[in-house]
Amino acid sequence: MAVEAYAVEVDGVVKRFGSLRALDGATLRIRRGEVYGLLGPNGAGKTTLIRALIGLVVPDGGTVTVLGRRAPNLDVLGRVGYMTQQAALYPDLSAEENVAFFAAINGAHDGVREALEFVELWDRRGSVVSSLSGGMRTRCSLACALVHKPDLLLLDEPTVGVDPLLRVQLWHRFQRMAHDGTSILVSSHVMDEAERCDRLGLIRFGRLLAEGTVSELKATAGVDRLEDAFLKLSEAAGK
Amino acid sequence: MSGRRVAAITRRLLQQFRRDRRTLALLFGAPLVILGLLGYLLRGGGSVPAMGVVNLDDGPLGAAIASQLAQSNTVSASTMSRSAAQSKLRSGELAGYVLLPSDFSSRAQQFRVISPEIHLEGSQPGLSQTMVQAVSESFAALAGQVGVRFAPQVTFLYGGPSFDTLDYFGAAFIGFVVFFLVFVVTIVAFLRERGQGTLERLMASPLRRGEIVLGYMLGFTVLALVQAVEVLAFCLLILHVHNAGNVGLIFLLEALMAIAAVNLGIFLSMFARTEFQAVQFIPLVIVPQVLLSGIIFPISTEPGPLMVLSRVLPLTYAVEGMRNIMIKGADISWSSLQLDLGVVLGFCFLVILASAATLRRRIG
Repeated sequence: MAVEAYAVEVDGVVKRFGSLRALDGATLRIRRGEVYGLLGPNGAGKTTLIRALIGLVVPDGGTVTVLGRRAPNLDVLGRVGYMTQQAALYPDLSAEENVAFFAAINGAHDGVREALEFVELWDRRGSVVSSLSGGMRTRCSLACALVHKPDLLLLDEPTVGVDPLLRVQLWHRFQRMAHDGTSILVSSHVMDEAERCDRLGLIRFGRLLAEGTVSELKATAGVDRLEDAFLKLSEAAGK
Repeated sequence: MSGRRVAAITRRLLQQFRRDRRTLALLFGAPLVILGLLGYLLRGGGSVPAMGVVNLDDGPLGAAIASQLAQSNTVSASTMSRSAAQSKLRSGELAGYVLLPSDFSSRAQQFRVISPEIHLEGSQPGLSQTMVQAVSESFAALAGQVGVRFAPQVTFLYGGPSFDTLDYFGAAFIGFVVFFLVFVVTIVAFLRERGQGTLERLMASPLRRGEIVLGYMLGFTVLALVQAVEVLAFCLLILHVHNAGNVGLIFLLEALMAIAAVNLGIFLSMFARTEFQAVQFIPLVIVPQVLLSGIIFPISTEPGPLMVLSRVLPLTYAVEGMRNIMIKGADISWSSLQLDLGVVLGFCFLVILASAATLRRRIG
């Protein structure tokens, strides 16, 4: 299988919901094996962009290429892991049954134990999800997203509502996966998480304001703090 | 108790309803639709049961009886030959016919007893009862004049003297109960799938829409068939509902109804956002079908426009099919059962296609 230079290529994508332009010419590139942070305030277009990558949103314009294939592509979806904002799980099934189900629909024959051990839930594998704590559900949801060892992992605000300790643990896991070759897109509106990403895309008004490493973005805006860089670039884009 | 706090709850509830137009429409619209339908069904000038009169009497009494029946308001009686009456009875055009033999008048005068033959189709106890009553009334009017005893000889094409209302409703309800419960469970389960976000996850996987629909269909069909076994066993073994047909055919029809219900549930779940809204489909989708599919009121007695509507409802054919099998003992060679199964099968395909086609619609 040919290895694509980019895991994700988004070119001038436009998506309208009535009069609202949720995406307004968004363009970005995610390199293979990097953790890419999509940063922006609520309503900036982060979730719509992620949904466009997996075909849940059909763009009105522009092109989306995922793992070398134009989206939406069912075959590619088997190589993509997707973790939604809420821990989307079956509450009546055990953690193990949930992970096994998502493994099966993604074509994986094993990996359930590995995934549950990765998120440190193997000991609670028999517990029904409704009896797990919020943090455990988030970890179980992550296990469901990565059980089929995807080449691209899309994480939509995975650390929202997560306590600081678990947040640190999750970021360690994301970095471990990236180190092993998985490309990861993490959306967030928390600026202090940006430091953990290899590269960042600042999104607002449905378009990318800037792309680069933290230091590159600060240099572009001529400021010392990423938050200030975001505000300055937002102002410039709004004018 | 604080009146202010109670008022706050009441006010909040009304505010919520004010913004939920669909629930308001249901709350105030559905009763009018259902009661209007029921009113039209019962008072809309629907036709009365059709019956035949075969008058072979050499004397004057037969003609007098035929004339009495022709004036009846509860049946629509018409004179015909014996062969025509038999043929129409088998095709279901007549609820029954009364045969007045050639020695009818002379026996009445000689033995002071009149015993006409009443041949009933028998599958619909309500219609049979109406007909026997009309015949009895017409004789009573004359019996009073000539002072004779009324002792009819009644035969049944289907069912029999012990065939009662439960036998009639049971056959329809065996199918309907499965259809209704599977529909409700599917629509709620599918909305839960949406609500908890797992449907979005399924859509982000390589699953094809057809695979989701088929997976759901098989899962619920397994449950529905177990339920069908339970319902059928209860009806046949405990309630002793009349069954003259093949149990395998009953299962076939129940399975088709379950498949249709699953897919109708998936399809209609696209038009509801919450489980609350899903439940609202019951008065809109299920109740009119209960009124119009012949479960309670025979379609042959409905007002003309409603009869047309009944004929396009798939549940009509399912109910008719169940009665054909269980009451009339129909097998697969009967053209009427082939039509019933064909329509239900066609409806299954239609809702499968509809549910698969609309699955992606509300996710984006």
